[in-house]
Amino acid sequence: MVLEYYSGLLINGEIFRINFITVMILANLAIGIFLVGMYINLKKWGMGSTGYGKEPSGSIFAFPRMLAQQMSEHAHVHNQSVLETFVLDILFQRRILRRSPLRWFMHFTIFFGWMALFVLSLAMFAVEMVYISAEAMGIHDLPDFLVPTLLRDMLAVPNDIFSYILLTGIIIAIYRRLFIAKMREATIAYDSILLIGLTAITVTGFIADGIRTERLWGFGLDPSLAPPTALFHVVISLLFCIAYIPFSKYIHMIAIPLALLANKGGE
Amino acid sequence: MAKREPSVNTQNLTAVQIMELDSCSRCGECVNWCPTYDASAQDPGLAPRDKILRWREFMNKSYGLRARLFGPKEIPEEDIEKFKDDVYKCTTCGMCATVCESAINTVELWESMRANLVKRGNGPYGKQGMFIKLIAEYKNPYMANNADRVNWFPKDIKVEDKAEVLYFGGCTAELKQRKLALATARVLNKLGIKFTMLGEDEICCGSALIRTGQYFINDTAKVNAQKNIDNIKAKGAKTVLYACAGCYRASLIDWPRLTGKKLPFKVVHITQFLQDLIEKGDIKWEKSIDKKVTYHDPCHLGRHVGVFEPPRAVLKSIPGIEFIEMERIEENQRCCGAGGGVKAGVPDLAMGVAKTRVEDALETEADLLSSACPFCKRNLSDGRDALGAKQLEVEDVVVLVAEAMGIDLSDAPKE
Repeated sequence: MVLEYYSGLLINGEIFRINFITVMILANLAIGIFLVGMYINLKKWGMGSTGYGKEPSGSIFAFPRMLAQQMSEHAHVHNQSVLETFVLDILFQRRILRRSPLRWFMHFTIFFGWMALFVLSLAMFAVEMVYISAEAMGIHDLPDFLVPTLLRDMLAVPNDIFSYILLTGIIIAIYRRLFIAKMREATIAYDSILLIGLTAITVTGFIADGIRTERLWGFGLDPSLAPPTALFHVVISLLFCIAYIPFSKYIHMIAIPLALLANKGGE
Repeated sequence: MAKREPSVNTQNLTAVQIMELDSCSRCGECVNWCPTYDASAQDPGLAPRDKILRWREFMNKSYGLRARLFGPKEIPEEDIEKFKDDVYKCTTCGMCATVCESAINTVELWESMRANLVKRGNGPYGKQGMFIKLIAEYKNPYMANNADRVNWFPKDIKVEDKAEVLYFGGCTAELKQRKLALATARVLNKLGIKFTMLGEDEICCGSALIRTGQYFINDTAKVNAQKNIDNIKAKGAKTVLYACAGCYRASLIDWPRLTGKKLPFKVVHITQFLQDLIEKGDIKWEKSIDKKVTYHDPCHLGRHVGVFEPPRAVLKSIPGIEFIEMERIEENQRCCGAGGGVKAGVPDLAMGVAKTRVEDALETEADLLSSACPFCKRNLSDGRDALGAKQLEVEDVVVLVAEAMGIDLSDAPKE
């Protein structure tokens, strides 16, 4: 059976096909690079010890051991629960809010928009898998939300909303980096790459969607360009959002929640 | 060809601390609040964010992807030496940890980096290198005869041989700023609280060694902590009182960590103890202190362990005192500049920070700047003198309590 990948590429009932295998290979490659990178990071973190003043461990398990130990220790000032840390500090990001409401708004819109789009993309992908499997098994009587083309239409509005939310955060971030002197002077490549990557993903996402739906941000480009643009968007998303995480500032998406948990929400 | 060894190692850093280097989002909030960065005319090397970035680069050059594939990349020795200078120009006040959006425990991180650099042969900084020798030889960092800790007490002071309450005086109050030790002892005596002291058996709490990354040398800090604990136990103490924020923090947090055991006694700061007595109505004030008083939170008492309210409650209960807060207080307080070995290692920087803090106090138009730590008092007094702000008195909360209780301290040895 020929597997097809058509997420978001339906125009006027016609399916623009991108070889599903190509995307799956890329996705697996991205996940593979991510895993290797995280292994290297875990090895690096594991070069530390499992207690203050103890000899370096060198074990890949040193980090989870030390994390578990710190999380279970009594702290003299802050002893908040894991749940409180998870909800208020990791999800709601109240430490940023305490310091700067604007920075919180910027970061929260990026975080929230990003995560929501990620979850929606995962949902779309999962439904496609179910649909393809069902088709292969000869099951054709699926509910609407398990039919990719119908689900995609259902998700069109939420996808738009979360994209605008993400874009709002990115515009604020770019503005701060470019027009606030203190920020601009302190910006190094480590910071820029993250923002450039995010911007590239978001802009290509909008353009791919605009071409397909013939909206303003398609810049009137030929609809035949929609599939390659979408593919490009998918490829850089996989590279930046997954593969590049362990080797760049994107690692903060993993390390900050871990630091918050290790330090019980912090001072 | 032999594989090149990494230029830096991970000695004294925990696995979580190495991870924390990757969690810095470089938001720059720490830079906005760092007192030594401010006092150094904004030397970029002192910015906490920059220190994290540099150490992360050291780690990645030594243990990152490239190092795994092609071997570690050499880090120039002058870069490491410059980093050492910068990481020692920090008072470990913890302001960066308070404002860190990633919740990095920066105080512990700086101290671990310092210990790493001491092991590597780069640290400590300047005169801090004398701490280990002095404490090993004299049991205090002031080259004083340890027998002189309390043998100068006037005859009226009654110290029990054994008691359930023990006053751990600390090197600074017993050997340098004796008015504080005298005030504490007389307040306890007047309150009828039977207390004991370690006297010449007391050994430096280890704060200076721990903060400057030298605690592991010959296990001095651990051995001394254990000796102090054993000696306190031998005195039968169940509650140990501290009028020094540095000793209090060291006992509460560092001693259990060093010895790997829970303390067999309760650690209480004298202001907590006094607040409790005030609330019970056990303190009778005899004198009014008609002054406008502000309070400086010592980092080791406030941000490090969360004791903010007791000193304020004590000051507010003293008759006559008009209590006024500075702009930056409690968890957002500005450091006095003396901690983390900066007073000994980089005195000019300590002075710069102190002057800024004294200016904070002067803005309130207070007559008196109080604190609950002899080390803060010393540096704030120096800052006051440097600014020529003679109108501002600098005094410890316990001394004010003693005065309000009608206790005469005119026989206190000169500081």
